[in-house]
Amino acid sequence: MNDSHDPALLAGAFGGLEAAINRALTLAPASAKDLAEMAGTLIAIECTAPALIAFITIEPDGLLHLSGYSEQQPATRVCGTLSNFIALATADDPAATLINSDLEIIGNSAPLIALQQIVTRMDIDWEAPLVEVLGDVAGHQLAQLLRGAFSWGGHAASSLRRQLSEFILEEGQLSPPAAELEHFYSEVHALNLRVERLQSRLQRLSKRITERGAAHKP
Amino acid sequence: MTDQGHSKDTGADTTDFGFQRVKREEKASLVRGVFDSVAARYDLMNDLMSAGVHRLWKRFTIELSAVRPGQTVLDIAGGTGDLAERFSRLVGPQGQVILADINASMLEVGRDRLIDRGALSNIEVVQCDAQYLPFPDNSIDCITIAFGLRNVTDKDLALRSMLRVLRPGGRLLVLEFSKPTNELLGKAYDAYSFKLLPFMGRVVANDAESYRYLAESIRKHPDQETLLGMMEDAGFMDCQYHNMTGGIVAVHRGIKA
Repeated sequence: MNDSHDPALLAGAFGGLEAAINRALTLAPASAKDLAEMAGTLIAIECTAPALIAFITIEPDGLLHLSGYSEQQPATRVCGTLSNFIALATADDPAATLINSDLEIIGNSAPLIALQQIVTRMDIDWEAPLVEVLGDVAGHQLAQLLRGAFSWGGHAASSLRRQLSEFILEEGQLSPPAAELEHFYSEVHALNLRVERLQSRLQRLSKRITERGAAHKP
Repeated sequence: MTDQGHSKDTGADTTDFGFQRVKREEKASLVRGVFDSVAARYDLMNDLMSAGVHRLWKRFTIELSAVRPGQTVLDIAGGTGDLAERFSRLVGPQGQVILADINASMLEVGRDRLIDRGALSNIEVVQCDAQYLPFPDNSIDCITIAFGLRNVTDKDLALRSMLRVLRPGGRLLVLEFSKPTNELLGKAYDAYSFKLLPFMGRVVANDAESYRYLAESIRKHPDQETLLGMMEDAGFMDCQYHNMTGGIVAVHRGIKA
């Protein structure tokens, strides 16, 4: 599948990505430890649009090796478009996203879900490289500043989401609340089931009438 | 088919040394002279000449090798040991890597570098000629020769020697400069090789002649299809090649049946 791409370019792209991920993993030892328990697992990510295949091997030290070529049989092979993979990577509930999306999974889905959960839980200690470069005092101060900025950004984003949601539901009344929608969907589903039962009852009655009519014929 | 030459003088007792024809028995010592001269700055020059891309070519070659823990890998013309170091990690403590080169100066640089990086526990360093490999038949799982085959006097003899030492199912990977697939790229590459490369050699390594030889030897090396045919003639099965960077470099793979 990677034949249309220059192997050297792909090797460069995978090498760069691998170095960045592994650098992050060295700053998140808990995640690296979790990954080490999955050592030897090979996961193939097959993107159909654009056409590209990547193999992720988990090394015994908990680091990842990315490549565009492997002759081993992957434990899990996931096929889909780039947007499917982005949706999976950013999902709060990866298991539900895997089931409901257009991604095709061949093999065992457990390693993929475990990998996604490790990535979600990843807590990177950004202070370590800053301290390494800037020294204890300046590095710690900058880390505190960045932590504060990220924390403020997180709060601001969540507050914006909440206010936007309130406006859509309460002020603008542009959409019913999620619970109301869920209730409506479950009512529709129940009605659907009742209609199906009624239809099947009517079919049985109609069949019985036809059979009795045929029996009373001289 | 012996050493591939495109010169008019293709006498059986002569062979290519860049664009010159020299006596076959002289080529090894002439090549040795070139590599003795460049050994100390070989890695630096490789990075400069290829803008670091040689690392990507080698990375892909390692992917193609599909080497597993416990296997034995022979890296011919391994020089400064960059492939051997990576293979050493892949085969693990149960496996073995043999770093082989005909040139003692290159091996010395490679061995020192591997010692500095603490990577010699499963690496054996052997000075030998690729045409007469001093290893038992069917003893190696994977052979790599990166940017070395073009310097071998009799490439067919070397390929047959590699086939002999490989285990059935084992693979040979030849990473070597080849022929650009795009004409425009070929012209730009020619200009780079014959103008810029000797200049860089003169400035960085104080040795323009050796780098001129490197450029010339690349042009005299068989193209992708010819090398593929040579590997098949030597007895390798399932031969294939992958072009890299527009065909400037190709990696050929062959399997021993």
